[in-house]
Amino acid sequence: MDNVFTLIRIFIFPGLLFLSILAFLFEWIDRKAYARFQNRIGPLYAGPSGILQPIADFIKLMGKEDITPRYVDTLIFNNAPIFAVAIPFFASLYLPLDGSPILSSFEGDVVLLLTLMTLYTIIVFIAGWASTNRFSTVGAARAILQFLAYEIPMFISVASVAVYVGSTSLTYISMNQPVPMILLQPIGFIVFIISMQAELERIPFDIPEAESEIVAGWLTEYCGPKLAFLRFAEDLRLVFCSGLATAIFLAGGSGPILPPVVWFVLKMIFIVLLSSYIRSLFARFRIDQMVSGCWRYLIPLSILQLILTRFVEVGLRWL
Amino acid sequence: MSYYQVPIGPQHPAIKEAFQFNFILDGEVIVDVKPRLGFVHRGIEKGMELRTWVQGIFLAERICGICNVPHTTCYCLAVEKLYDIDVPERAKYLRIIINELNRIHSHLLWIGILGMELGFHTLFMYVWRDREKVMDLVEMISGNRVTPSMNCIGGVVYDITPEMIPIIKRNLDYLEERTKYYKSVLEEDPSIRARTVDVGVLSTEKALDLCAVGPTARASNVKSDVRFDDPYTLYDTIDFNLITYDTCDVWGRAMVRVDETLESISVVRQALDKMRPGPINVKVKRIPPVGEATARVEAPRGELLHYVKSDGKETPYRAKMRTPTMANIPSLCEMLKGYHIADIPAIVASIDPCYCCTERVIFIDPNRGEKWVWSYDELRNYSRKYYGVGV
Repeated sequence: MDNVFTLIRIFIFPGLLFLSILAFLFEWIDRKAYARFQNRIGPLYAGPSGILQPIADFIKLMGKEDITPRYVDTLIFNNAPIFAVAIPFFASLYLPLDGSPILSSFEGDVVLLLTLMTLYTIIVFIAGWASTNRFSTVGAARAILQFLAYEIPMFISVASVAVYVGSTSLTYISMNQPVPMILLQPIGFIVFIISMQAELERIPFDIPEAESEIVAGWLTEYCGPKLAFLRFAEDLRLVFCSGLATAIFLAGGSGPILPPVVWFVLKMIFIVLLSSYIRSLFARFRIDQMVSGCWRYLIPLSILQLILTRFVEVGLRWL
Repeated sequence: MSYYQVPIGPQHPAIKEAFQFNFILDGEVIVDVKPRLGFVHRGIEKGMELRTWVQGIFLAERICGICNVPHTTCYCLAVEKLYDIDVPERAKYLRIIINELNRIHSHLLWIGILGMELGFHTLFMYVWRDREKVMDLVEMISGNRVTPSMNCIGGVVYDITPEMIPIIKRNLDYLEERTKYYKSVLEEDPSIRARTVDVGVLSTEKALDLCAVGPTARASNVKSDVRFDDPYTLYDTIDFNLITYDTCDVWGRAMVRVDETLESISVVRQALDKMRPGPINVKVKRIPPVGEATARVEAPRGELLHYVKSDGKETPYRAKMRTPTMANIPSLCEMLKGYHIADIPAIVASIDPCYCCTERVIFIDPNRGEKWVWSYDELRNYSRKYYGVGV
């Protein structure tokens, strides 16, 4: 009976099925909010207020012809979409969606999750490289260069929370916040959100897939089911990143009256809306501006947060 | 370090029309660029020779979808020089109004395009929403949103009735307020400034050497505007400023266009006030007398030139245009050198390119690798042979 319960948790709720639904829901929220910020309507026809549009897009792409260009590295090119979906799925299983982790929780799983995010960037790079398209190659090179800039401040901002709480287990961190960390570590939160925007390749950091410059960047050669998978992976990554931000900075599922899973999803939606708002406010930066900006501002800010953490801790104890 | 080539176009999201730039790159830095045109050559000049003088207006209107009004104005001005007639004063003011409305619409469209090329989709959506106002005005005056078909040989076709004037003024007030807002956005937004300031620099000397025209030249501090240098219709009776910027970069080109939009709004207001009742066109004979004429107007993208030659027949003997984008392509190639791939869309967009106006044809023999251009006589002989007229 215990096994069945575990399997239901992993595959149905709050596991893979629930995460997939969240992924499509978040894409819809993101598109709709982005459209409203731009004075547009956004998706409208598929389902009430176009809520089924992401699923319709997914099905449509799945039905398209699957093309593998002649000069690509077939093995990597065809398998990259599968890894791209599997990695955020696996990582999301460590999120404490309903108060306890879906798969398991152990000391150090935050480090594992951040490593998985790094692995995704490597998949992006080799997928772009294996495409042997000039635009893909440029996009892949930009993805790896951008990764060198945003990954370190992101890690440090997560580390300062871990230092404060005194644990590297995501569930423990999210459950043991006296007040949500966003209030105690606002600088860290800002750094995390900006790095998240770069991690998700969204404006102003959509440099690896800058449409007007390099067509679709590392995605250029992908079409049909593979593209459907890659886009789905993008939605899953949105779920994962907003979940990580919720667990680390917004005290996870804790909140009055409503059950933890509702609080968790509401907080995730807040992060998604914040991300769409940032997306509608900026023009795209150039890769050199982005890298120098990250090293010049984000990294000192995140280190400052790490130092301040110690002071806040001592100060609170003194009070 | 070996260089590699990236072809941008003929199909590419940054370039809406079929045009190709072959970029020679060193990493992400542009070393050299080779433009290639001729993908959508439509034979308009030849088409002009096959149509009557009046049909020529409508063909000229279709040279460029966006700056169609300057094309018809220029063609009509040239043909009117053949007739040696003067159009009524009211028609001249109406021409100014419709030309400036066209300039407002074109410049606003361009600001949106710039936003899109920089990845600033919000700016694009907002500017294009406000651009609808000026399209509505053009529709109210002529019945068409984009191609008003306003000009005819000897004047204009549609009149502005007194009821329209308050509506036009109200919409212009709205547009002025919004344009001032967009000006402040372009001036202050850090991400736009980061992408446009000191990007695509074209020095004043280079701009003069390479014969840049229009806002491209004016952003490089070259005082060149046909409305001032060679006033046509009644631009000399209207008080407005020639906008120049000395920043010589993409940002300067954007600011020139925004300021010109504000100037155009004031020009339309003045023209509305100065208009007196009267006829709006004069009747002309169907065929102009023998002769040749040229006319210049300031299109939104720069100086536009039309040449027509009549041999006393129903159709023009020869019609020839030089469009502003054609004149700006050499400057564009100069601007691009030394910048990054990421700057390409912004720099290419900064001259407000319109490639289909620009198309020219060159003969190429791929087997021998030879290229040649036909002279006028060769083209004439070929066409005579083609139509069986005899050489």
